[in-house]
Amino acid sequence: MDAVLAVVNAATVLAQEATGITGSLNVVGYGLAAIGPGIGVGIVAGNAVQAMARQPEVAGMLRTTMFLGIAFTEALALIGFVLFFLG
Amino acid sequence: MEPVILAAEECDLTQPVCAPENVAEFFVFDTTLWNTPITRTIFLMGLAALVVIGILFVAYRKPTLIRSKFQTAIDALTGFIREDVSIGIIGPEGIKYYPYLLSIFLFILVGNLFEVTPLINFPITSRMAIPAFLAIVTYLIFVIVGFAKNGFGYLGGIVWPQSVPVAMRPLVGLIEFVSYFAIRPFSLAVRLFANMVAGHVMLSLLLVTGFVFTTSIGEVSLLKSGAGLLWFALGLGIYLFEILVAVLQAYIFTLLSAVYIQSSVHPEH
Repeated sequence: MDAVLAVVNAATVLAQEATGITGSLNVVGYGLAAIGPGIGVGIVAGNAVQAMARQPEVAGMLRTTMFLGIAFTEALALIGFVLFFLG
Repeated sequence: MEPVILAAEECDLTQPVCAPENVAEFFVFDTTLWNTPITRTIFLMGLAALVVIGILFVAYRKPTLIRSKFQTAIDALTGFIREDVSIGIIGPEGIKYYPYLLSIFLFILVGNLFEVTPLINFPITSRMAIPAFLAIVTYLIFVIVGFAKNGFGYLGGIVWPQSVPVAMRPLVGLIEFVSYFAIRPFSLAVRLFANMVAGHVMLSLLLVTGFVFTTSIGEVSLLKSGAGLLWFALGLGIYLFEILVAVLQAYIFTLLSAVYIQSSVHPEH
C-alpha cells in the first residue's frame, strides 16, 4: 500500500515538474474507469435493440432485462466517480 | 431577491447567489430534538415519508369498484410494481414482498424527485446514509430469506455451484460468494448514491455558473456573459435528464431488490 502511494506521489510530482500540469490523478483515474462501462452499456443497449427488432412481441421483457444490464455495468463507472471524490 | 432554496439558512440578500460563508452551516438547523440537531436531510426525509403515506392514503381511503381518476393513476403505479416486479420477477410468492418493494420504490422515487422540485433542489438519497440503509435492509431480507427457505443448502449452493464443471467450482464459488455477500449490497447503495450526487453536482454547477455569468454582465466581457446563457441552457437540459434518471434509479433499485430476493427464494435458477 505504501509502495502504491509512493508511486502515485512520484507520478504526480513528475507530471507537475516536467510540464507544469497541476491537479490530482483523481480525474485521470475516473476517466480510465469510465472507458469500460461506456463500451459495456453500448453493447447491452445495442443487443437489446437488435433483439427487439427480431421479435417485437417480447419487447417488454427485453426492456426490463436491458435496464437490469445497464444498471449492473453502470455501477462500475459510478464507483469510479465516488472514488474521484475520495482520492 | 428572495432565497430560492427552501431548506437553507438565512441569506445575504445583497448577493446574487445565496451561499453561507461557512458551508457547514448547511448541515445544521436551529432546532434540536433531544439534543440531536435536525438537519435539512432529516426534515426532507420525514417530508418524503409523509408525501408517500399521503398519496397512498388519499388514493385508497375509500376503494370503490368504479375508481376515481386519482385512484386510477396511483393504481397504475402500484399495479406495475405488483405485476411486473413482485409477481413477475419473484413468482407467485412475490406478493409477500410486495409491501416492502412498493415502500422502497415510492420512498426512493419521492426522494429522488426532490432534486427537481423547484424549491427543494436537494435529493435526500444523495446522503449516503439513506441508500446505505435501504441496501442493508434488502441485504438482510435476502440473506435471512435464503437461509430460512433453504437452510445451509443455500450457502452450499453458492460456494459449490452444481451447474459448473467440477474443476472451476472453487473459483466460481469464491466469486459467487463475494458477489452475493459483499458486492451486491455495496453496489446497490453506491449506484443510487452516485447517480444522485452526480446529477446534483452537475445541476448546481451548470445553473449557478450560468446565472452568475449572465447577471455579472457589467463586470465581465460580453462573451463571458453570453457563455453564461449557454451554461444555463445546458443546465436546463440536464434538468430534464435528471427527471428521467430519478425515476429510472428508483425503478432499478426496486427491480434489483426483487431479483436478489428471487435468487434467495428460488436458488436453482
